[in-house]
Amino acid sequence: MFFQHYCWTAVSDPCHKEKELSLPCKLIVKAVLPVFRCANVLGRNVEKCSISTSPSDHHITFQLLCKHGVVKTYNLTFQECDPLQAVFAKHMCPNILKVHSRLLADVMIHFPTSQEEITLSVTPVKVCFKSYTEEDTDFSRTMVTEIHLSPEEFDYFQVGVDSEVTFCLKELRGLLAFSEATGVPVSIHFDRCGKPIAFSIEDVLLEASLILATLCEAQKEADSQERCCPQQWGSSETHPDKPSGDEPNSTDISKHPQRDGNAPTNPVAKQEVKSIPRVTGRDVTGRAGTATAEAAGEATEAPYQKFHSLFFGAVSYKEKDATGHTFQSLATASDTEEDLGPLQSSPVL
Amino acid sequence: MAGHAEGRQCLAKRLASTFPGKGERKGGVINTISKLTKTCTLRLTVCKLYFILSDKVANGGASMWCELCQGNFFDEFQMEGVAAEHNEIYLELVPENLSRALKTAHSAKAVKIKLTNKHCPCLRVAVELPSLSSSSRIVTHDIPVGVIPRRIWNDFREPTMPDFDVSIYLPVLKIMKSVVERMKNLSNFIVIEANLSGEMNLKIETDLVSVTTHFKDLGNPPWASEDGCQSSAQGRNLESMAEARIDIKKLQQLLAGQQVNPTKALCNIVSKRIVHFILLHEDVSLQYFIPALA
Repeated sequence: MFFQHYCWTAVSDPCHKEKELSLPCKLIVKAVLPVFRCANVLGRNVEKCSISTSPSDHHITFQLLCKHGVVKTYNLTFQECDPLQAVFAKHMCPNILKVHSRLLADVMIHFPTSQEEITLSVTPVKVCFKSYTEEDTDFSRTMVTEIHLSPEEFDYFQVGVDSEVTFCLKELRGLLAFSEATGVPVSIHFDRCGKPIAFSIEDVLLEASLILATLCEAQKEADSQERCCPQQWGSSETHPDKPSGDEPNSTDISKHPQRDGNAPTNPVAKQEVKSIPRVTGRDVTGRAGTATAEAAGEATEAPYQKFHSLFFGAVSYKEKDATGHTFQSLATASDTEEDLGPLQSSPVL
Repeated sequence: MAGHAEGRQCLAKRLASTFPGKGERKGGVINTISKLTKTCTLRLTVCKLYFILSDKVANGGASMWCELCQGNFFDEFQMEGVAAEHNEIYLELVPENLSRALKTAHSAKAVKIKLTNKHCPCLRVAVELPSLSSSSRIVTHDIPVGVIPRRIWNDFREPTMPDFDVSIYLPVLKIMKSVVERMKNLSNFIVIEANLSGEMNLKIETDLVSVTTHFKDLGNPPWASEDGCQSSAQGRNLESMAEARIDIKKLQQLLAGQQVNPTKALCNIVSKRIVHFILLHEDVSLQYFIPALA
């Protein structure tokens, strides 16, 4: 429905007969953005956009057929990968909220852009978003914000279990910007703390899901004994020092109705992290990029579980950094720092 | 503030949006101040609020005095200072935090500001916002503040008007701001010079280039001097320029913070010593002192 013409030629591969024949690949978002920059200009000049792949030499070609016979061709290299399946049953979540992204955006505007994590606390009669503070937060320097909403404001409000979940706000802002652009309402599925929280938007043309880990509250007591500082994993991995077009990593956009149930696929680098990774305190060092690479590699049991989480996307990003892959891209990513696509965190929020 | 030697300090201010202009204006003032300095002192008295920045070296010697009448901003204002004779409260705060808390105040049903002490003294700003449902949204911001003990209140006295050489009205701030912003790209220092004939020049000079912007017909404020106290300005040659070389960033910050055109905007120049800016709005007065550099 999204495409005028969609043609898929399966490459026969005897060893993978059982697997679904698809081409999982990944591209650097920064390289793709310039192709579709300036939507207004595109709308006026471009008559057709053709996307084709040649799997043999790992190229994907974007062709913009414009007015007056002008054709712009972008050849980008992709890398094959093994997508990670997020095992997360949305329908099993006791708490489900549905609301227009505008409401969430209006809520998030009260938090500074530097706010890493926020806590969502629900009971059947009230909803509260507040800035996340730890035991050892220096309150004399930190501004704390709380927003109380009534359940009536939500299009759909189901709270099966009172819960208080803490997750990464920065990641969410990206999805909210995207949702506002598409005008599709946001669904929030979650459970108790420690279990993942899913933000998803779904309409006829597309589905997008953002699944975030939440902080496990029980750990807070163990921490004071252990004297480790449980930094949020979410922020550390996906926000390295250099801004890049690769965020948000946990977001997955499928541009056609999903064929495989409700588990969103996410193209991720080599490592198949099927087990739930344990993140130890000393590994998660705030914004140090290496943290996740270590954590993901460490499938061994840490003496305590910090986060029950599904780790993907973020893991892949760091993996990529760690292994220092370079992508040959024939389309030079021009200066996109100021050019914010919908997937990057929007300063508006 | 348990055990605080300064005694009870409780404060309740309600800033209502039945006069929507109020919240906006207060937000405007706070915005301006947050652009000038990272931290400042808030002095509360029964009738007035003051935002003060004293001229410590950390600020680059610049100082600020901003005064507003609480009645123009608050529908309800209750305050109890340290003691009856000293019915004032001095707080140290980060204006940026307050600015952020008041960001949505313009569309609020009501805004309440309280001084409380949870983990530490803080200003609790509670904003009641309209919502689609029957019950409003309540946003609370806890802004940490430092309570300033009475013994150092003297550090925050109103600065005296300097004995200036020239006093002149400023050009339209928008124009002045765009000029200064462009000059900022070329140099770190700017020379302001003006005379009593309503002429002002903004000059920068580097190895490669010097740029001067001339303003004229600005007008000079008529400072009444009953006892001839403004003697350095009296009997002064009308054409003679008084000048001061100042940090351009400070000037740019001052101009950038002005969202609304002031009713009156003027500056007093003490040659080679200090430039004293006065910006007057209906209910707020802002004075900003920028020391001259060699």
